[in-house]
Amino acid sequence: MASKKGAYENTASDTDFRKKYDRAEYAQKAKDREAKEKEESKLRYEAKLAGKKYYAPLTGEETLTQARASRLDVSQNVGKVMLMPAGAATGKKGRGAGFYCEACDLTFKDNLQWVEHENSMQHLRAIGQTGEVKKASAEDVRERIERIWERMQEEKKDDVKTLGERLEIRKEEEEKDREERRRKRKELVERQRAEKEKEVKIKKEYGEDVRVEGEHDEDDMMASMGITGFGSSKK
Amino acid sequence: MATHRADEKRFLDERGSSGPLAPNGLNPATIMEKPVRERIVDCYFWKDQCFAVNEADIVNRVVDHVHFIGGTYGDAQRPSPFLCLAFKLLQLGPGDDVLREYLEFGGEKFKYLRALALFYVRLTRQAKDVYLFLEPFLKDYRKLKRRGRTGTSLTFMDEFVDDLLVKERVCGTTLWKMPKREILEDLDVLEPRISPLGDIEDLLESDVEEADGRNGREDSEDDDRRRASPGSEFGEVTPERDAMDVDEGEKEVANGNDHDSS
Ligand SMILES: [Zn+2]
Repeated sequence: MASKKGAYENTASDTDFRKKYDRAEYAQKAKDREAKEKEESKLRYEAKLAGKKYYAPLTGEETLTQARASRLDVSQNVGKVMLMPAGAATGKKGRGAGFYCEACDLTFKDNLQWVEHENSMQHLRAIGQTGEVKKASAEDVRERIERIWERMQEEKKDDVKTLGERLEIRKEEEEKDREERRRKRKELVERQRAEKEKEVKIKKEYGEDVRVEGEHDEDDMMASMGITGFGSSKK
Repeated sequence: MATHRADEKRFLDERGSSGPLAPNGLNPATIMEKPVRERIVDCYFWKDQCFAVNEADIVNRVVDHVHFIGGTYGDAQRPSPFLCLAFKLLQLGPGDDVLREYLEFGGEKFKYLRALALFYVRLTRQAKDVYLFLEPFLKDYRKLKRRGRTGTSLTFMDEFVDDLLVKERVCGTTLWKMPKREILEDLDVLEPRISPLGDIEDLLESDVEEADGRNGREDSEDDDRRRASPGSEFGEVTPERDAMDVDEGEKEVANGNDHDSS
């Protein structure tokens, strides 16, 4: 949209161009809006004469309305609930603090206002819904019962499974613990034995009552030479 | 395609004059008293969880939110989810085929779904059909929690059915005056009730009179049945949510007790 010559010309003319362009566009938009509003106010007036509330006409593209899948999450707004008198489903224009409706560009102060807005025909029309709900047959009802029941059984199974898994994991951890203790014990025993052996070896080397091969060779030699040993009692 | 309105406005506006009547000839929009209706449509549960709900969604809502029967409760007289959903049923006007799914197939699994449908049947069906729909569930001994203005109490499905058949007011709603069973029998509208249980007093009496050798067995059988598992009466054993605390062993014993029906 912006001119490539911008770098060589002064920026003012560029803005100027945009202004002109925007102005034309805005003018057209305003004209359209005015026409639409005129048409709407005519219809609204007619509806009022007939004792009805006016809503934007259906286009035929609307979908049926469905029940909420879950409860509105208001946990973040606890305490804000009931700030306004009940029945005041009037939002503030634009985005603000509270519950914001993108489709209608309105902000609501609390969950009650919000849910009332969600249920309002104004909102339903804005999101392309008719406010009509499909009737369910006996077969639909049975299917739903089956689905809910199966889901609950699955959840129960999952619960059992996770419990089983938890037990399995705990067993593994305990096994590891035991293994570790066993290893340490073995190590300790090993070390103690090694120390003992060392002691024994020292004893053997210097002890009196243990005869290790070659230990007394010297004594024997000396004895054979007529010299008695250094206190070696046993011979 | 058949549809309902997502909200209650048309139901409350139009039914007063031109809407279809319930099978018992009452206007479903005025079966509950005005203050109760107003409390219902003003409450958050109604706006959040009863909007755009159809006959199948009712099942989800019961399973997720109905954990006790009752009308309004607490000092604020809040309408119970049970009552709100009963009001939604009044708006939806489900046929007998849907009600049978709620009562039987669904009622086996979800006891509060059965309780809700029983209540709704009592409000909208003709006397004859009320008896025929309700009486089989005098054999359902599952526990139900009840919550009222004063607090929570314990009841049983069979007691709830009995209340619906004999009491004037149940769950914050005045029940339309129904002719007694005997009158309908005299008029040949109803066959005398053939039931393995029936009225214990009657059965004991007839045992003595007819001397048919049963020796008042029903009495002890009834005791057994009181402990029996809920589903077994209806040919299907289905553990249900609130009975999960009952361990499997107990359930099997209960079923064992329940096998012979003379
Ligand atoms: Zn909106």
